[in-house]
Amino acid sequence: MIPFSDIERDFAWAVLDGEASVPGPLVGKSGRATSGKTVTRSFAVYQNNVYASLIDALASRFPVTARLVGEEFFQAMARIYIGCEPPRSAVLLRYGTSFPDFVVQFSPAGSVPYLADVARLEWAWHAAYHSADATQLTLAELTEAGPDAEDITISLHPSLGVVRAPFPVVTIWQISGREGKDEPTQLPDGGEDALVVRPKLDVEVRRLPEGGAVFVLALKGGATLQEAASSAMQEAPAFDLKANLAGLITSGAIVSVR
Amino acid sequence: MDQATAQVTANGVIAQNLTGNGPMPSRAGVGLKPEHYRDILDASPDIGWFEIHAENYMGDGGPPHAYLTAVRERYPLSLHGVGLSIGGAGPLDKNHLARLKALVDRYQPALFSEHLAWSSHDTVYLNDLLPLPYMEETLATVCAHIDEVQEALQCQMLLENPSTYVAFAETSMSEVEFLREVVRRTGCGLLLDVSNVFVQATNHGFSASDYLDSFPAEHVGEIHLGGHAEDSDDDGEALLIDDHGRGVADSVWALYSRALSRTGPKPTLIEWDNDVPSWPVLFAEAKRADAVIADRRSNRVRVSA
Amino acid sequence: MTAHTKKISGLAIGCSFAAALGMAASSQSTTAADGVEKCYGVAKAGENDCAAGKGTSCAGTSKIDYQGNAWKLVPKGTCETMELPDTRKGSLEAVDRDLPPA
Repeated sequence: MIPFSDIERDFAWAVLDGEASVPGPLVGKSGRATSGKTVTRSFAVYQNNVYASLIDALASRFPVTARLVGEEFFQAMARIYIGCEPPRSAVLLRYGTSFPDFVVQFSPAGSVPYLADVARLEWAWHAAYHSADATQLTLAELTEAGPDAEDITISLHPSLGVVRAPFPVVTIWQISGREGKDEPTQLPDGGEDALVVRPKLDVEVRRLPEGGAVFVLALKGGATLQEAASSAMQEAPAFDLKANLAGLITSGAIVSVR
Repeated sequence: MDQATAQVTANGVIAQNLTGNGPMPSRAGVGLKPEHYRDILDASPDIGWFEIHAENYMGDGGPPHAYLTAVRERYPLSLHGVGLSIGGAGPLDKNHLARLKALVDRYQPALFSEHLAWSSHDTVYLNDLLPLPYMEETLATVCAHIDEVQEALQCQMLLENPSTYVAFAETSMSEVEFLREVVRRTGCGLLLDVSNVFVQATNHGFSASDYLDSFPAEHVGEIHLGGHAEDSDDDGEALLIDDHGRGVADSVWALYSRALSRTGPKPTLIEWDNDVPSWPVLFAEAKRADAVIADRRSNRVRVSA
Repeated sequence: MTAHTKKISGLAIGCSFAAALGMAASSQSTTAADGVEKCYGVAKAGENDCAAGKGTSCAGTSKIDYQGNAWKLVPKGTCETMELPDTRKGSLEAVDRDLPPA
């Protein structure tokens, strides 16, 4: 009698491996014992279910990444990722967090140097979609709370994420996310930083101005307004505090001020 | 776990109120899909209830919870887990149980169900309902897991019969015998997936009618119906795949009618998870199930009159 | 940091905050309508609105053949139409170096 834990282990291994032969003690139709071979197509249903469902999950989580390289390439890339890093939780909506890092390492995608940055932006979008909720401060509440304070600390929305990229990631994401025919596009020079936030139900992606990423990340890390502004100015002397604050306010990214 | 939480009103209009969270009507319901959130909230269609996959609502917030909250204000809810791995050899994931408990507390579902299957091995989650051999060892494990679930959630759960594509040489009892014994030992109820019966009967070469006729009908708290795809196995014989990607087949509708004649009217879910259709198409499929239930009810009235 | 500089910069922050509120108030009515895509403008990528990620399923699938060999495939999507400034063209050729052993 083979213990079930052994059966389960062999089964799981054969399902994930994809190439492995059918695990030992299976039987085919009408109960006849098989030496593994004659239930290959039946067993393949499980291999296919696991890979197809996870590839679909990744494709719908990284739709622009998939469009950039095409369906066939994306599916093949996702398949390898799944084999290397299968889900570790039954909460599938958390699956794919390490996919952008995988894309960086994946040499066949090396000819699309911005692919991993787009994937990071899409993961930030996905994380914001499922993040905790919070109510943003209205302009009136902000007016009451903030302006006279000497050293303000701003709490940002829990959905807020920042993606910094050496490529124009927001532009690429925007262009490739659009429906319709793709016209040849000359991309702008330099990198772009993205702010991703979901103040209510809709996730918004905004392009951050110079120094904005440092500023927002510092605030997110708990820095006071003053500290965040000086870090931003260190990186970008032209950092415009007023404009950045106004941007954060209109994004609905501020949930409290003290 | 005692069995008193289930209030069996067999053949009644109101099915078992398993979790104490309000009644679940013996009508058709459908799976709640993001594609249909707006259709449902804009028109409040006349449908009995909605079922959700618990794992899809285990995020912290955002649109899924906002829409589910709004839907729950208008309709009864059934919580259907797909990732607990009740049939697995290893221990249940305590964190996952806690997440389920949080959903039960928040949304007060009328029913909670899970599968006779496993999906996790060690720390890897395979995202499919994988089969197990039916034998004393697995029976004991499944019963222990169900006890743990019912303790944690403080309600009776329903266990669903699976679709399988292979069988194990180690199996020493039939699926129905296995399920019957699980019910006896744990006091859980059953979710009878009629489509899974049809799929398995074809794949493993047994009679679907015999399976249904021997099923412990008095313990059925919910029924599932879904579409399947046809393929062939290595011998060129029919291999059906339970893909929930189309309407329910006529042969399955016939089996459903047969099942209802034994269980009486039960909450019946139309499962359509792949290639999700427009709301009117899904709604029409639910109406068809409602018609079968109504037909069964009037037959019963005539017979008893 | 001395008390003096702290006070001055604190004052500056306060002013900035008030000014930012003014900017935010005046931009609120115009941002959405103009569809400006400058900094902090809202970017919408059509496909993403409802694509929060395919969730769980308790069903199997009849879709088969996700078996393409990525090591031999070439990215063939919208990347082909994107040209980076220093003419690092999106992608037309397979990268055949650094491949793992077959």
